Amino acid sequence: MTKSIYAVEDIPRRRFLELGLKGGIALAAVPGLMRCARTGQAPPPPRFALEDLNKVIRRALSKGGEFGEIYIENRVSRSILLEEGKFKSALFGISQGAGVRVISGDKTGYAYTDDLTLEAFLRAADVASYIARGSKAVAPVDIKEVKRPSFITVKVPLRTVAEEKRLEIMKRAQDVALSYDNRIKMASIDYYDEVRGRTIANSEGLYVTDELPLIFFIVQALAVGNGTSHMGRERLSRHAGIEMFDDLKPEDAARNCARESVTMLDAEDAPAGKMDVVMQNGWGGVLVHEAVGHPLEGDNISRETGVFVGKLGKDVANPKFTMIDDGSLPGFRGTTDFDDEGTPMTRNVLIQEGRLVRFMTDVLSAKQLKMGRTGNGRRESFRYMPIVRMTNTFIEKGTDKPADILASTESGIYVQSLSGGSVNPTDGVFNFTCREAYLIEKGKKTTPVKGATLIGNCLDVIKGVDAVGDDLDFGPGICGKGQAAEVTAGQPTVRIRGINVGGSRAR
Amino acid sequence: MDIKGLSEQLVKTCLRKGADAAEVYIETARNLSLDVRKGEIETVQEASAAGAGIRVFVKGRMAFASSNDLGGKALDDAVGRAIEFARITTPDENNVLTDDKGTTEVAGLYDPRIAQVSMDEKIDLAKRTEKLALAIPGVTKSDGASYREAEGEVAVANSNGLSKSYRSSGCGFGVSIVAEKGEQKSSGGDSCSRRFYGDLKPAEEVAAKAAKDAIDALDPRPVKTQRTAVIFHTDVSSMLLGGILGAVDGERVLQGASFLAQKLGQKIGSELITVIDDGTREKGMASAPFDGEGVPTQKRVIVDKGVLKSFLYNTAVAKRAGVKSTGNASRGDFGSLPGIGPHNFFMAAGTAKLEDIIKATKTGLLVKEVTGYGINPVNGNFSGGASGLWIENGQIAFPVKGLTIAGTAEEIFNGLDLVADDLDLNEAMAAPSFRIKVLQIGGE
Repeated sequence: MTKSIYAVEDIPRRRFLELGLKGGIALAAVPGLMRCARTGQAPPPPRFALEDLNKVIRRALSKGGEFGEIYIENRVSRSILLEEGKFKSALFGISQGAGVRVISGDKTGYAYTDDLTLEAFLRAADVASYIARGSKAVAPVDIKEVKRPSFITVKVPLRTVAEEKRLEIMKRAQDVALSYDNRIKMASIDYYDEVRGRTIANSEGLYVTDELPLIFFIVQALAVGNGTSHMGRERLSRHAGIEMFDDLKPEDAARNCARESVTMLDAEDAPAGKMDVVMQNGWGGVLVHEAVGHPLEGDNISRETGVFVGKLGKDVANPKFTMIDDGSLPGFRGTTDFDDEGTPMTRNVLIQEGRLVRFMTDVLSAKQLKMGRTGNGRRESFRYMPIVRMTNTFIEKGTDKPADILASTESGIYVQSLSGGSVNPTDGVFNFTCREAYLIEKGKKTTPVKGATLIGNCLDVIKGVDAVGDDLDFGPGICGKGQAAEVTAGQPTVRIRGINVGGSRAR
Repeated sequence: MDIKGLSEQLVKTCLRKGADAAEVYIETARNLSLDVRKGEIETVQEASAAGAGIRVFVKGRMAFASSNDLGGKALDDAVGRAIEFARITTPDENNVLTDDKGTTEVAGLYDPRIAQVSMDEKIDLAKRTEKLALAIPGVTKSDGASYREAEGEVAVANSNGLSKSYRSSGCGFGVSIVAEKGEQKSSGGDSCSRRFYGDLKPAEEVAAKAAKDAIDALDPRPVKTQRTAVIFHTDVSSMLLGGILGAVDGERVLQGASFLAQKLGQKIGSELITVIDDGTREKGMASAPFDGEGVPTQKRVIVDKGVLKSFLYNTAVAKRAGVKSTGNASRGDFGSLPGIGPHNFFMAAGTAKLEDIIKATKTGLLVKEVTGYGINPVNGNFSGGASGLWIENGQIAFPVKGLTIAGTAEEIFNGLDLVADDLDLNEAMAAPSFRIKVLQIGGE
């Protein structure tokens, strides 16, 4: 384990086979297998008799402990790649398994299995119970099915969609990207969808089950010219059926992607040093996801290592700044019906007009902090125990007009989109890489500049937000914190005073 | 479980069900992960897992299915799905499988002792590391210590009669701490991972390094935006290799999505740069007898004294390029297709001592931490966040934080003028400390 760094990636990168414990030992050794298969329709998940699950929970708490849980998952996925004019590959994946967790005081035991049988569950319960040896046992409550409201509506279920429909959508995107400009030399269209079935039962008597569809569509286009190259990117993602594409048009994504690629061929070196930054609405919200969101996750707080420890109830940001995590926004990529511990999703205001009012919690950190559960207990798959994660995280819209924000900025950088970034939650130092950015000169967006890094400290940056637009928008992404989570980040157009920009020339 | 036998049998099932060619990749693994904090166990995770990836070719079209249920019915189903899925892909003459039946002898990939060491000893190792780190003056909090291990087996079989398998293991431990001074918080961490339990570093060394990194970073001072010498410490220097790695991916090269695409056989930087990809190194964390599709691994010079010598290929991309596979087919896991990736990828050590490089630097930045994406493999642009130590008159003067560094691959590789002898080949991707004569940094 090196320093904890939480990162958001804009795109899943090809993973290199490595038995290294590189980047710290967050994930151990043997290649793969620490990750679930990412690549569907499979038989419906087996349903287990409630009494069998009660047995598993009782076994989990047989040596002691106050919280026992079983999480059963089945995921069917498909992934199709259209690149260089060819449907190069089609992947179909089936992944299923269960994890049993025991909490005893501050200790957690976790064991998982690929094998969906009662015997395997009981074995996992035995392993997970190891940490509770000798502690006081709390008698589990028999489970009873609970119905939760759903924030996800499906009109055309993925399992009813012919493959040809998927190919057609991909082709539409490709054709628009390639015909946008003759400097576009290649288009790459990644289509991914999955259906994840979840069953969660715990010693508090909870039993919930649901099925979540998810689509992730990525367009990339390579532009070559002016002695350089640029790979643009645009993504679409929702928890929805195939009707997502009626609303979020593949052609629009492709056009935007190609426009970025061609524009950035003319990019000049960015200046270096402290300057004012105007961030366009949308995925730019990843900045607050990283810089403020991660440090507000309850695990850092209960460990007393995070930068916001002791700051609850205090003014930490400009009064124009309100930040929210809301896992109940209908159909959003970061939305679920309930988190991976069964807690209902809700709108959590974290910072209200500059004042820190709430931390995000899961079952364990809520207990440790003596706070309520906020629905932020999430896991990548059954292979991971739940930890505190964000959902849809955004800066609430303000009243400033985006055009006025730009016009009133004498000079600086206009960030149209960011790739992603990371933060050290202990000292609050964050960094981001711009995908598409421009100089601001006399209140106007002028020359495009090369992918500069933005860097700063989270406490400074939220004090430096002095203009908040009325144009809130969102973008989809993947958040990494030892395990991956689907998130959206959002914001209206905002201005931040005095961020360090990592350009390659002096001003 | 006989996964070698199972993979061979599944290849036959694919052919029987209508595939013209097929490849089956199966993995099994056992994992253990322990976290301790404040002297107590915080988490214990344990599991066994397995999965199969099935690649089929039907009339030149390729498709893939994976399953983590290795039961007969589930696997039969997966084969059927893969063949059905091949209907939708585009035929490609480069969709071929390897017939190279050789394997590379690589010693020290599997340590049976890891499984035999008691759980208590492993817990104790993590606890002791944490305790040692907390005992160092200046360290105020623990962000936890941990121990991880995994062992497993990989088998690949294909319809060219290839069938291979090997076992491997790995273990590691580390600690994360916080040093505080007034309102300041500074984090530090270190870890060590090895193939063999007995090769792990002493806990003292890991604890000391974690503490030193955090304490050294306290009381940072601002510096001005300027062009100056930048020394990349060996802890972070391998990040710059990432840009080379992405740009020597044979598929990116063919697509023109690499800043090195037209540079084969040409000088791309200082003569001090030699970069090697080695899948054969004894006990190497990224060594293996064969790659993700069964091609024997090699030791290959990628950059020789500043001259670009080779790209990396898997079987299909090599055929398209008209060359032989370099044994660099890489799989994320059983659920993914073989892409292209490195083995032990490193820059050769130099002869200078890091202290002497510092002494030779009148003013400059010694970078101990870099954030961001490194060098962009498409266009070679680089911009990142940095922290470390400021050098004045050949001596470390004070810590710095929240700076940026930026430039291009060309500037970095040509400006590299001093290389240290501190390469640690125990890391899968490694480079020694080196100096870039001048780069743009952003500060006050």
